[in-house]
Amino acid sequence: MSEESGAKHKFAFYLGCIAPNRYPGCEAASIKAMKKLGVELVPLKGASCCPAPGAFGSIDLNVWYAMAARNLVLAEQMKMDIALLCNGCYKSIWEVNHKLKHNKDLRDGVNEVLKEIDMEFKGTINVYHTAELLYNERFVGVDKVRDSVTNPLTGARIAVHYGCHIVKPHKDREFEKEAMLNTEHPTWMEELVAALGATPVEYRNKMQCCGAGGGVRGYDLVHSLDITNEKLINLKEVKADALTDICPFCQLQFDRGQIEIQEKFGVTYNLPVLHYAELLGLAQGMSPQELGLDLHGISCEPFLQKVL
Amino acid sequence: MMAEKKKATTKKTASKKPDTKKAAPMKQEVKKQAPAPAAKPKAAPAAEKAAAPAKAVSTTQQGDARVGVFICHCGTNIAGSMDIEAVQEASKRIPNVAFVDNYKYMCSMPGQTVIQKAVHDNKLTAVVVAACTPRLHEPTFRTATKDAGLNPFRFEMANIRDQNSWVHMHDRVGSTEKAIDAIKIAVAKAALLQDLHPKSVPVEKAAMVVGAGVAGMQAALDLAAAGIKTYLIEKDMSIGGRMSQLDKTFPTLDCSQCILTPKMVDVGRSENIELMTWSEVHEVEGYIGNFDVTIRKKARGVMTPKEAEAKGIVGGGCNGCGDCDGVCPVIKPNEFEVGMKPRKAIYINHPQVVPLIYTIDFDSCVKCGLCVTACGPEKRAIDLEMKDEFVKVKVDTVILALGYEIFPIEKKEEWGYKRYENVISSLEFERLICASGPTGGHLVRPSDGKTPMKIGFVLCAGSRDNTGTGKPYCSRFCCMYSLKHAHQVIEKIPGCIPYLFYMDIRSFGKMYEEFYYRIQDEGAKFIRGRVANIIEDPKTKNLHVMTDDTLLDRPIDMEVDMVVLAAAIQPSDDTNRTRKLFGVSCSMDGWLLEAHPKLNPCGTTTAGVFLAGVCQGPKDIPDTVASAEGAASAASIPIHMGEVELEPYFAQCIEEKCAGWGMCVNLCPYSALALVEKDGRTVMQVTEAKCKGCGTCGGFCPGGAIWMQHFTTPQICAQIDAFLLGGEQ
Repeated sequence: MSEESGAKHKFAFYLGCIAPNRYPGCEAASIKAMKKLGVELVPLKGASCCPAPGAFGSIDLNVWYAMAARNLVLAEQMKMDIALLCNGCYKSIWEVNHKLKHNKDLRDGVNEVLKEIDMEFKGTINVYHTAELLYNERFVGVDKVRDSVTNPLTGARIAVHYGCHIVKPHKDREFEKEAMLNTEHPTWMEELVAALGATPVEYRNKMQCCGAGGGVRGYDLVHSLDITNEKLINLKEVKADALTDICPFCQLQFDRGQIEIQEKFGVTYNLPVLHYAELLGLAQGMSPQELGLDLHGISCEPFLQKVL
Repeated sequence: MMAEKKKATTKKTASKKPDTKKAAPMKQEVKKQAPAPAAKPKAAPAAEKAAAPAKAVSTTQQGDARVGVFICHCGTNIAGSMDIEAVQEASKRIPNVAFVDNYKYMCSMPGQTVIQKAVHDNKLTAVVVAACTPRLHEPTFRTATKDAGLNPFRFEMANIRDQNSWVHMHDRVGSTEKAIDAIKIAVAKAALLQDLHPKSVPVEKAAMVVGAGVAGMQAALDLAAAGIKTYLIEKDMSIGGRMSQLDKTFPTLDCSQCILTPKMVDVGRSENIELMTWSEVHEVEGYIGNFDVTIRKKARGVMTPKEAEAKGIVGGGCNGCGDCDGVCPVIKPNEFEVGMKPRKAIYINHPQVVPLIYTIDFDSCVKCGLCVTACGPEKRAIDLEMKDEFVKVKVDTVILALGYEIFPIEKKEEWGYKRYENVISSLEFERLICASGPTGGHLVRPSDGKTPMKIGFVLCAGSRDNTGTGKPYCSRFCCMYSLKHAHQVIEKIPGCIPYLFYMDIRSFGKMYEEFYYRIQDEGAKFIRGRVANIIEDPKTKNLHVMTDDTLLDRPIDMEVDMVVLAAAIQPSDDTNRTRKLFGVSCSMDGWLLEAHPKLNPCGTTTAGVFLAGVCQGPKDIPDTVASAEGAASAASIPIHMGEVELEPYFAQCIEEKCAGWGMCVNLCPYSALALVEKDGRTVMQVTEAKCKGCGTCGGFCPGGAIWMQHFTTPQICAQIDAFLLGGEQ
């Protein structure tokens, strides 16, 4: 797949909060790597926080609906489907879109709020996670991902963290690809990792939460780090070279969380944590600087030495 | 005029007219269009039509009709949702109605007496009962009508319960009006009802049982004991079903084999039972008393002594010596042992099989011929070129005993079945703990062959599951067999602790609760909580069972050596195909539908077809055997009667109108029609015993030459007129 082939698919790219503020490499990697795969990500200008499903949803669902709906309307005005790179955003934006499309009362309520800023939710667009675009051959597919690799990550043992909101709750998820509907033991991300030439590794309790979500990190940091620590113990046992995720919030918890765990529990792991877009960028030949890997809390150097 | 009248009357019954009218917009429209004169004679057009076929059958002239209407309260089932008085008053104004009464329970003896007395006193010609549903009480009221001296087919039912009061429980005005409409329609038909006489046909003195698990075997044995020739059809190579895979049975703990194998032998020996294993029902024709069933005998590759003799090989055929088994080079997992033991391409399930005849799995047979040589020139039992055979039998009644299979528990991904070696299903546990199983009764962990000392039992594994992945129903015997499993491990492995993760322990049968207490005393641990997920320790292959102890209100992470999933059950894979052959319905979950869940649990809506065992719904062994005996008893009644009465809903040909095209002949799904020469003309003729009265021919006949008894065109037109035009006086 050459860069000149032009974009077959265009999406309004919704960034969320953590990617642009903490891990700008995720954003850059997504835009550049997806372009090589025929997907153009156009900035969704004027977007706000998604807003965070746990924090807002626990306090006032109507605020959650209205704010997410505003972001959706911005994309409706661009006449483009939304692509996003974060599981938390996926829950807010996809789920609110789905709920408003199917529930007239909810839609009327939201539109009454949106009227104040001359907006109306019409329900004309769909929402996709970039990982979903990569896995679904209607947009990209694993084969094309494999074909785009110029620098295979051969020899790297990479563990996968799916993150909760992308797969749960099962009854509220409607992926086109059946493999993505497996909530309890999915393996589609492993397929994507293998497509980059790396070796995906299974580890104990793979589907456990990162510890951050649902407001746990904000409410009780030690408890949240305890969960993260348990996952890190399991990852250490299988000697993974890196952990990959598709959610910057999970990434924050695993990456910066390791520093906090070091401070609070006195345990050191030094496990590099990379968003799948960053891995894809590396495999497509982008430089670590281009991907902003130097901004990670835990150094990616040992991993980079192995794959570059 | 009509319309005004109608409004006037319904106003009395229903004060909130505009609301209730919404229910029948079509009715309103027609009323507007219908010019007053046309509506004046009310059911007159129907009367004209009724005169037409007079030659074919004697018709009640509508003018003479005196219909009695009997309204049932059904306790409060009907009376609680509608104004019975208003319904009664409105019914009095319907044309041809000579008498109206109501009673609390019309089906009871006093209720039926009311009908009989009214028929005598008022010289009624037909009876309308407005009550529950024909499905429940049509036979009851037909008998009452007959006892009153009328032809039993001079009865018509208005369904004002199942299709009215139960569904419009909170709309008193609407349901009152709907009941009046239903009665008008019933009266319109009742006025045109004719005397009909059911045909009796002699029956075959034979029955068929499909499925030879414990239910099918028991049913066949009972029928055979009653002197009835019984064909027992089994799709597997041997009989015994699921029960033959079990080790012990709760709560008595007697060995499954010990109580089942003698029955298997009895089945094999019974003179009245013709056992057909490795066979399935292929095609079904006919009706109660005269089912023509085609059975596909799958190519077994091995001849029984009887079959060999028929081919002139005297003293030949399979004697179960197993010489072939020894030489066969193909190895496959044995399904009977849930894949935990190997078998050959020519094999028997286990040494106690009935019949003791080997079977070739032609999907894996390489046709090397070694078995043929080993079998030798005397027995000559093996025929590698054997083909499927089709056998036709005639039977009076059929019992379906189709059984169940284990729900594919790997669909509940969170428990890791088929992903973690030491997570097994309850059926695998049965084979592992069974003396004749793959390990000779030594319970071991599949991962390393070690004896497990802590075993987790996950109950309701896929049962009572509303997530959409599992089954919403209770599988009914998992609690009890898990208690039995707990007992077995305590008994066999000193120091081994069983942990049962449960929602509720359902120990409802005779001596079951006592068994539960016994297992508690023996030291089994009970943890009330649904298992969220199971995590394998990759090093030790031990399992962490993650749940909530809802009694202590705390999360649990229990490390065990092995987990047994008490998997839900579901209808066996062939159930759907077989039930369709016999026209039997199933409920939403796939279990076969009985005629009535309480009062006719063995019958189905197809006359002459009965249900036994788990195919009707989950049952343990005692309930299965009881249901089988019930089905056998029900299925033997028509046989002992010697003949069956067919409902006289036959099509009849009005020969003057018949053009002899024969289009109906091709349409008839039951091959009941034929063209014959009569007085130099070609006309259609009906074989009444074959006709089901479906009406396909009558609806199609372009010349209107087919007269559907009990559903005649004039009767149906009168019903439609009564609904659309009101039909009040």
